[in-house]
Amino acid sequence: MSLYKSLLIAGLIAGLSTASALAAGGGGGGVGGGGEMPSASAPRYDPAEEYAKAVKALQARDYKTAARAAGNVTTAAPKNLDGWRLLGIAQAGAENWKGARRAYERAVKLAPDDLPSRGGLALSLANLKDPKAQAELDWLKARSGSCGAGCDPAMLKAMTADVERAMAGAAPGPRASRTSDALIFASDRGDHAYGAAVSLINERRYDEALASLEKARLAFGPHPDVLTYQGYTWRKLGELEKAEAYYRQALAIAPNHLGATEYYGELKVERGDLAGARLMLAKLDLNCAFACAEAEELRRWIDAGGEPGR
Amino acid sequence: MDRRRRRTGALTLILVAGAWAAMAADPGPPLRAMRWMSPEANLRNALSETPTECLRPPQAPRAAQAVRIGRAAFRTPLLLGGQAARAGLTCESCHRAGRGNPDFQFPGASGAPGTADVTLSLFSSHRGNGVHDPRPIPDLSGTRTALKVAPKELPDFIRGLIVEEFDGPEPPAAVLEGLVAYVSALDPAACPHAPSTPVTLATTMADARLAVAAAGTALAEGDPSTANLMIAAARAQLGLIDERYAAFPDDRARLRRADADLASLQAAIRERRPDAAAQLAGSTGGLTALETRLARREPASLFNPEQLARAANRRLPPRAS
Repeated sequence: MSLYKSLLIAGLIAGLSTASALAAGGGGGGVGGGGEMPSASAPRYDPAEEYAKAVKALQARDYKTAARAAGNVTTAAPKNLDGWRLLGIAQAGAENWKGARRAYERAVKLAPDDLPSRGGLALSLANLKDPKAQAELDWLKARSGSCGAGCDPAMLKAMTADVERAMAGAAPGPRASRTSDALIFASDRGDHAYGAAVSLINERRYDEALASLEKARLAFGPHPDVLTYQGYTWRKLGELEKAEAYYRQALAIAPNHLGATEYYGELKVERGDLAGARLMLAKLDLNCAFACAEAEELRRWIDAGGEPGR
Repeated sequence: MDRRRRRTGALTLILVAGAWAAMAADPGPPLRAMRWMSPEANLRNALSETPTECLRPPQAPRAAQAVRIGRAAFRTPLLLGGQAARAGLTCESCHRAGRGNPDFQFPGASGAPGTADVTLSLFSSHRGNGVHDPRPIPDLSGTRTALKVAPKELPDFIRGLIVEEFDGPEPPAAVLEGLVAYVSALDPAACPHAPSTPVTLATTMADARLAVAAAGTALAEGDPSTANLMIAAARAQLGLIDERYAAFPDDRARLRRADADLASLQAAIRERRPDAAAQLAGSTGGLTALETRLARREPASLFNPEQLARAANRRLPPRAS
C-alpha cells in the first residue's frame, strides 16, 4: 500500500465513526415516486450522510464510490464548500484530474482563500500539465508569508511540495510522495475539534474557534451543528452577512435545527428585525417539545431587543 | 500549552457520548441521562431507582412553597443556560434527589465516575480555567461541614453556579430563594432508611404536578417569571416520561398534547392574560387524567427495569469483558 493511501486512510479514520453517527438526522430523503411531480420524486440526499459515505469509501480506497457520494453532497448542498472539496479529493484519488480540477474550481469559486481547495486545484492543474498551475503555485507560495489564523503551515508546506513535484514531471504520481490530502483530514479529530471550538467560543477566542470548526467540517462535512457554530462565531466577530450565510446553509440541510433557528433569530434581533426574530421564535416554539433552552434564550433576546444583560 | 492540550484532550470524547442533544444525529440512547452515565454503571439499577431524598420540609407555608420552587427548579434544564441546558443537564443530573451521583461521567467534563470539572469553558464563558480538574461531586444531603459553603454564603454560591458556571440567565428572586431553601432543607438526619426508591410514572408525574402547583402559587403572588419556570419544570418531567414511552406513539402524542397545553399556558402568563390562573388550576387535573391513561402501559414502558435493561443493552456498545 502506498504511503499516500496509508496516510489518507489514517487521517480519515479519525472522524469517521463520529461522522457516521452524526449523519443520521440531517434531513435528506430518498427516492420518492408515484403520483408526485418529478421534483418531488427526484433523489434527495442528506449531505452529512453522503459526506460520511464518501469518507468511508475513501477509507476503503473505493474512489468511485467516494466520488459518487461526494457528488451527492454537491447535489444536495451545491453552495457548500465541503462537498466540492471532498469531490476533488475523491477524483484526485481516482487520478481523474479533470474531474478533480472541476470540483476544486467550484470549491475555489465558493471560497477563494480555502487552502485545501487551492492546493488541490494547483495539484490537478499540474498533473494536467496546465500552465495555470504556476499561478496557483505562486498563490500557495505567497500564502506561506501570511499563514495566519486558520492556516495550517504544515499543510501549506506539504501542498506546495506536492505541486512542485507534479510540475517537475512526477505527475500523475508517485502517490507515495503526496501528503497534502492526508494532512487535510489528519489535522484533527472532528469531534475533538468541535468540542474544542465550543470552548474557544466561550473563551471569546473566535479566530481559533473558526480554525477548529474548519477541522470539524473536514471530518463531518456540511453538518448543521458545525455550520451553526461557524455562523455564531462570525456573528460574534461582527460579520453578520457571513453569519447569516452559515445559518442559512444549516437550515437548508436541517430546516428545524434548533440551534441554527435560535442563533439566526438572535442575528435578526441584532439587525433590528424583530418581526423576523419572532418568526424564528414561533418556529422554535412549534418544534420544542418539553421546553427548550433555544426558544427561551431567543425569547430573552427579543424581550431585551438585543443581547440580554447588555 | 500543556494546559490547553490537557483540556482539549479531555474534550475529545464529548461528541462520542452524544452529550450534544441538539445534534441532528443518531437518536442516541433511550434515556437522555444515559449520555452522562459511566460506561461501568449498572444502567438498569441506576435509572430505575433514585436515591431517597433526605428532605426535611419546613412547616411554615411560605417556607414550604420556597422549598417546592427550589426542588422543581433543581430538576429543570432551563434553570441553567448555555451548553448545559441544551444538553439537558440539571442540578439533579449531578445531585440525584439532592444527593451525589457516583455514576455521573460527562465525557470531557468528568474524570472518574462521580466527578465533574466546574471550571470548564465548554459550559461557561466565565469560569473556564483552561485546566481539566474534575472534582468529586458532593452529596448535598451530607454534613454541612463537608459542603464547605457557609449557610449565609449559599445564595451567592448558588447564583454563581447558575449565572457563571453554567451561563444561565439571572434566576428570579423567588427561584434563587427557593433553591437556597431546598438545599438547606436537605438534612442527613432526614434520610429515609431505604437508600433508594423506584423511579415510576407516579413519582415523575407527581413532580410535574408539584411544579404546576408551585407555578399556581407563584402566579397568585404576582410572580409570572417564577410561575413560568415552574411550568418549564413540569414540562421537563413530562419529557422524562415521554422518553420512557418511546414504543407507544399514541401515548407520546398524549404527552405532547399535554406539553403543548403547558406551553400555551406559559404564553398566557407571559401575555398577562386574565384566564391564565384558571388554565393553570385545571392543569393538575389534566396531568392526573394523563397519568391514569399512561399507567396502563407502564409495565411495558422503560419505567419497568427489565424493559429498560433490554433497551439499554440494545443501544449501548458491548462492554469489554
